[in-house]
Amino acid sequence: MTDQSPPDRDLDPTSDGDGRTLEPWEVFRREKDGDPMRHGGSVMAPDAVLAVHYARELYGRRQESVALWVVRRADIHDLADPDLLQPPLDRSFKKPGGYVMRDKLAAARQQSGQAKPKARSSRPTRPAEKADR
Amino acid sequence: MTTTRSALAASIDPAAETALDELLLSMADDEFVIGFSDSEWTGIAPILEEDIAMSSLAQDELGHARAIYELLAEVRGDGQTADTIAYDREPAEYRHARLLDHGRGDWAMTIARRYLYDTADGSRLEGLATSSFAPLRELVDKIRREERYHVMHATTWLERLARYPGEPRDRITASLDELAPDAATVFTPLDGEALLVEAGVLAEPMAALEARWRATITPVFVGLDLPMPPAGPLDGGRTTHGEQFGWLWGEFTSVRRSDPGAIW
Repeated sequence: MTDQSPPDRDLDPTSDGDGRTLEPWEVFRREKDGDPMRHGGSVMAPDAVLAVHYARELYGRRQESVALWVVRRADIHDLADPDLLQPPLDRSFKKPGGYVMRDKLAAARQQSGQAKPKARSSRPTRPAEKADR
Repeated sequence: MTTTRSALAASIDPAAETALDELLLSMADDEFVIGFSDSEWTGIAPILEEDIAMSSLAQDELGHARAIYELLAEVRGDGQTADTIAYDREPAEYRHARLLDHGRGDWAMTIARRYLYDTADGSRLEGLATSSFAPLRELVDKIRREERYHVMHATTWLERLARYPGEPRDRITASLDELAPDAATVFTPLDGEALLVEAGVLAEPMAALEARWRATITPVFVGLDLPMPPAGPLDGGRTTHGEQFGWLWGEFTSVRRSDPGAIW
């Protein structure tokens, strides 16, 4: 899974940042093995090495993370254009809820004589995600 | 669990016990004094992130000091605690290295001191990694894992200050110059250290550990075109403390002295 393998960054101080100007770096953290990376917050730092040091102190010093990703904010491709993400026309027909399958499925099952499959009992739960809400 | 003095001391040569006491006291005092000095940056470090980082490093050192003082109290087995050893002594009774007696200074001074101390402490801890005294060996194993980050942090800053010409380089070279005569005082020979080496508590004499330390930091100093601290006699490196320490002692004992014997 790509999510499990952190980017192999070269921590050469000259690789990112100019070393003189403070700029924001976004910090993603994994709380425990198996969890996805989640955005934790940001730090200000003049280069990648110090950004990683500060990320460790601000998001890891109390053993609250098992892994961190540190990304220079300037390297993030941003998309927040309302025309592209929140267009004004009614788009409810794009949502699955706009097209009720239940009755159609029941009719199809009856026609073919198949029983409704049982719900999967071993559905993976994600307690950490629930806790976030 | 309480361990009596005899039970804990039984694992080492009785002749080495005084030297062990001195070793533990010097290590704990080093960590305590640098930890307390660096905690003075809390609230006034150059940027918020560094404020948190330096405060966290200072807390780490105080944590190491506490663990070593606790072990020492157990070895002594005479009713003393980490607190009584840490706070209830006169300034002249502290055994930290004179390297730590130069006052907080500016950020460059703090980084220069941290770099010299953390690397020296690293070599000393290396000399204890296979110690025959199990409680110390186990503690050192944990401390070394935290100190790895301390060296990374200090090195990162040393490189940045030394590489940028002008004020950053001027300040770090001035600080290293001031500290140079005391740079190696962490390796001030202990009375009876030969007994510790013989008993396997310490792998090598302090002089050998100092040589290892110099070999470790030489490439860094050469790479940054900085003069290596000179080798020289370390007489009184842990016993002569200046006025700066008198002030610091007054600070860190002030609360405890305000109500002697109080339970906090």
